[in-house]
Amino acid sequence: MTTEVRVAVDGTAASEQQPVQAQAMTLATLLRLALRLLWRDWQGGELRLLFLALIMAVTSVTGIALFTDRLEQALLAESANMLAADRVLSGRDEAPSEWIEEARNRNLRTAETMSFGSMVFSDQGNVLVSAKAVSSEYPLRGKLIVAERAFGAGAPIDGGPAPGEVWVESRVLPALNADIGDILYVGNAELQVTRVIVQEPDRQQGGMMDNAGPRLMLNTADVPATEVIQVGSRVSYRYLFAGDTQALANYEQWLDERTNGEFRLRDVRDESAEVADALNKAESFLMLGSLFAVLLAGVAIALTARRYAERHFDYVAILKTLGCTSGQIMSLYMSIQVVLVIVAIFIGSFLGWGIHALILQALQAVISVNLPPAGVTPYIIGSMTAIICLLSFALPPLLALRKTSPLRVLRKDLDDNTLGAKLPYGIGLIGSLVLILWYSQDVLLTSILVLAVLGVVLVLSGVSWLLLRSSSSVGMKAGSAWKLAMSATRRRRKQNILQVLVFSLTIMSLLVLALLRTDLIRDWQAQLPENTPNHFLMNVTEPQVPGIEAFFRQNGVEPNQFFPMMSAGVTRINGETPILRRDDDEEQSNLTERSASTEQVAENAEAEPGEQERPRTVSNRQVTWTSRLPIDNQIVEGQWWGDDAQPGFVSLEDDYAERLGAKIGDVMEFDVGQGRLMEATIQSLRTVRWDNMQPNFFIIFSPGSLEGMGGTYLSTALMQQEQKALINGLLQQFPTIVVIEIDALIQQIQNIIAQVTSAIELIAFLVLACGALVLLACVTATLDERFRENAILRTLGAGRRLILSSLCIEFASIGLIAGVIATVGAETSLYYLQTQVFQQDFNLHYWVWLAGPIIGMAVIAALGVMATRRVVNTSPLTVLRHIG
Amino acid sequence: MITIENLIKRVDTSEGELVILKGVSLTVNDAETVAIVGASGSGKSTLLGLMAGLDAASSGEVILNEQRLSELDEEQRAVLRGQLVGFVFQSFQLLPSLTALENVMLPIELKNDRNAREKASQLLDRVGLGERRHHYPNQLSGGEQQRVAIARAFASEAQILFADEPTGNLDSATGAKIIELLFSLNKEYSTTLVLVTHDERLARKCHRTIRLVAGEIVSDESNVDVVAEAISAGTAHDD
Repeated sequence: MTTEVRVAVDGTAASEQQPVQAQAMTLATLLRLALRLLWRDWQGGELRLLFLALIMAVTSVTGIALFTDRLEQALLAESANMLAADRVLSGRDEAPSEWIEEARNRNLRTAETMSFGSMVFSDQGNVLVSAKAVSSEYPLRGKLIVAERAFGAGAPIDGGPAPGEVWVESRVLPALNADIGDILYVGNAELQVTRVIVQEPDRQQGGMMDNAGPRLMLNTADVPATEVIQVGSRVSYRYLFAGDTQALANYEQWLDERTNGEFRLRDVRDESAEVADALNKAESFLMLGSLFAVLLAGVAIALTARRYAERHFDYVAILKTLGCTSGQIMSLYMSIQVVLVIVAIFIGSFLGWGIHALILQALQAVISVNLPPAGVTPYIIGSMTAIICLLSFALPPLLALRKTSPLRVLRKDLDDNTLGAKLPYGIGLIGSLVLILWYSQDVLLTSILVLAVLGVVLVLSGVSWLLLRSSSSVGMKAGSAWKLAMSATRRRRKQNILQVLVFSLTIMSLLVLALLRTDLIRDWQAQLPENTPNHFLMNVTEPQVPGIEAFFRQNGVEPNQFFPMMSAGVTRINGETPILRRDDDEEQSNLTERSASTEQVAENAEAEPGEQERPRTVSNRQVTWTSRLPIDNQIVEGQWWGDDAQPGFVSLEDDYAERLGAKIGDVMEFDVGQGRLMEATIQSLRTVRWDNMQPNFFIIFSPGSLEGMGGTYLSTALMQQEQKALINGLLQQFPTIVVIEIDALIQQIQNIIAQVTSAIELIAFLVLACGALVLLACVTATLDERFRENAILRTLGAGRRLILSSLCIEFASIGLIAGVIATVGAETSLYYLQTQVFQQDFNLHYWVWLAGPIIGMAVIAALGVMATRRVVNTSPLTVLRHIG
Repeated sequence: MITIENLIKRVDTSEGELVILKGVSLTVNDAETVAIVGASGSGKSTLLGLMAGLDAASSGEVILNEQRLSELDEEQRAVLRGQLVGFVFQSFQLLPSLTALENVMLPIELKNDRNAREKASQLLDRVGLGERRHHYPNQLSGGEQQRVAIARAFASEAQILFADEPTGNLDSATGAKIIELLFSLNKEYSTTLVLVTHDERLARKCHRTIRLVAGEIVSDESNVDVVAEAISAGTAHDD
């Protein structure tokens, strides 16, 4: 660091010129000075908030990254149990053996299952079962839980039945009047019952056909002997794969290239829309939470660094008069920041690890899988956050320090505008944008966040300017607390606008997270309330309905509504042929919709991705007719017909109508099978909650419209574990009906939702802590001026009460404005987040419009007064001497 | 030697341009002591700031030991300050986070002198604060702080010392002791001293008193007694 200048002095030769040469401050001197300053600033408390903000940034980001990393793995592991594998390839035909061979060559573990419906016989009875042949490696993920007797307590077991054995679900045994050790006849094979299946990891996978009837599990080696699989038999083949993520990805790519994308490995997100939805929303929430945490910690860093820089102007001026160059000053402060950031990274990483461990400890009860250890990535993310935060938020004001004029030593009044320059804010803004984008890898989420922040800044600029606009009043108006506060608010307009901005952003972040959390949890709870029916009854004929209802009542089960059901296709709307894209058609496909038709389920479940973009005419749908609006349906346009319904009307699901281009009053023509056509007028449009595990329909006719055209009935029932044996009695009495059991699926989804709910609660708490830090940093940022001013006021005789009241009013009014802006910002952000990212319905949160401003006012007033009340408890002389 | 040629300083204010110095010219010889006096707002602190290279003039020239300040940027002026100039301020301007010893060590350390600690300790002993070297500025009285500032000013072995109202924040008894210390060290180190003051008694201790009114030098008088004393001391010394 050497600067040499040769200056020509009038009348002197160049050789006589005196060189101006900067002596390089050695690294040791620099470090010594930096460490000394650092230590003293730390002791003096000046660095504590900045350091705390840095630690908070590292802690929250590392903690959340560690937590989400391991939680993601936990959830995926848990979800993988639902598949009994990491990836699944399924189809109606056998996969070429070289595909499986290739997977094994790539060190992937493989297993296969074949599902088919079959009658099984004992010496004393027979029952239709959903048979599943499994290879000896099955299951690759999760465990089978088996018992030694029917309805007995289960225990996990490795692998499936050995050749020559069958395992059955409890209710098969009473249905066959058989017991453990008896021989069952499956086709031509004689197999011995050795265990009872209590729980099967992938019980609900593979389409509804595989789940119609109680389970019988055998070894694939016994399948040829049964001779039940003939040409044309309906068999579901599922190939299971598990192993290293990278190896799986490579194998997927290999398969994709081999089959031109015709066959695709599916994971739990493909297989279960309900679980995928919960996982995706939880991930988005966690991401949003950590983004807010980073943003808030960044703001705290910016504020504290600015205050630190402001307090160092005089310092730098003195150093400059002593001969320090800008370069040396920069090196000095850079060294301080480097030391600070390194220590913060160490402490923050450690605390982050602690926080994530605490969270996992709290979730121990709901996370049932063993978590793999965390990698280094979360620590890198945390460290990078600290570095980027420091570079973008703290460095600009510190860099501005080097431009401090040494003249400040003579003229204290010299205003240093360097900190007010636009560039530092620009750097901070770009830095935070890069950080958020890099961290989230989600352009939509980042855009919404950035737009929300920009929106708040814009609204704020206008509102604050109007509200805090200075009248032409002169003096401090020290007569009353109210006038004194208002005058102070106006005088510190610039700082106050900054404070309102920071408070608004903080309160907005907290409101967004709190409301989103509440809405998500409410939605999930509403999706699967405690008494969600866990069995579907299908293929019920009209004469069977009263009998089934009576059967349930006798056995203490509340019968639910029976929906008549038949297949119908839209042929014309107002005389025109409708066109519907296939992906739209499949979009809302879910378990309950699928459950409406076992045939259709099988087709949908195996829809090939390559076909999805092709436009096509509208496919057949399972339709119903009823006078009662089904549960969780809401009329959004038109009117529900009610009890005095007339035939010839139809109600469509809102989105479905939109995709068809149909509206109220349109006349639709349907093909109801066997060439029969009928017409109906659209009378209402409905929203449907597809994920509520209830029978749901795109198309509902008014009663009488389809009467006499045939069809079967569909219903649901809630049966507890101890009532499961009732199904046998039901099936004995009504042998033609099909009972689909989804209790295991509901239980699994509820477990996952419980996990993610706990997770988002904890993230919300972490962000709250960051928010509190920002508020504290922001209040502290203007502390000096308030201290000085109030010390002078006290010297001039202002009472303690007057000053405290004035401070309280000043902070409360700032809090009120911030609360109002935050509420508007939060609701606007929520609208976009809920409709674009979380796929939720947006509703205004009316109570927040009252609570937001009030909470803002109360919290900011309390914090402000708490932080500044020392001014009335310390002698004015001490304050003035301390601040100088 | 300090040479000032037709120095002008203008600043922009909300009410238009304000000329603080209106063409000041003067010369200060090596080892000379000069007091700049004048009413508040006369431009004396501005003149001191320009002479010390803390600020840039609007026009005119300041030449410090043959270096034309107008040809140096702030970085180069900082280097020059480190090599040539020492300061004593009315408000002491000690770094609050450093002890008395560390404050005095700072300019020595900036020159990469390995003996910073010993030199600083000796200087603190010299100003009578050897026992309080580990105290922080806020633990010292105003007079003590100014003594630390004086020790720091001489620590850099500056050739020119600028003092801005060095007794302005002190009571008269303490101020008198500080003046005595300042002049005694100044004599010891043969430093050129330029000080700005309101205090006529202090001004009379300097070889020359330059009076500023509204940014212009209205008088530049030698203090005969001081000069005579200096001449006699010089003669005695020469003898």
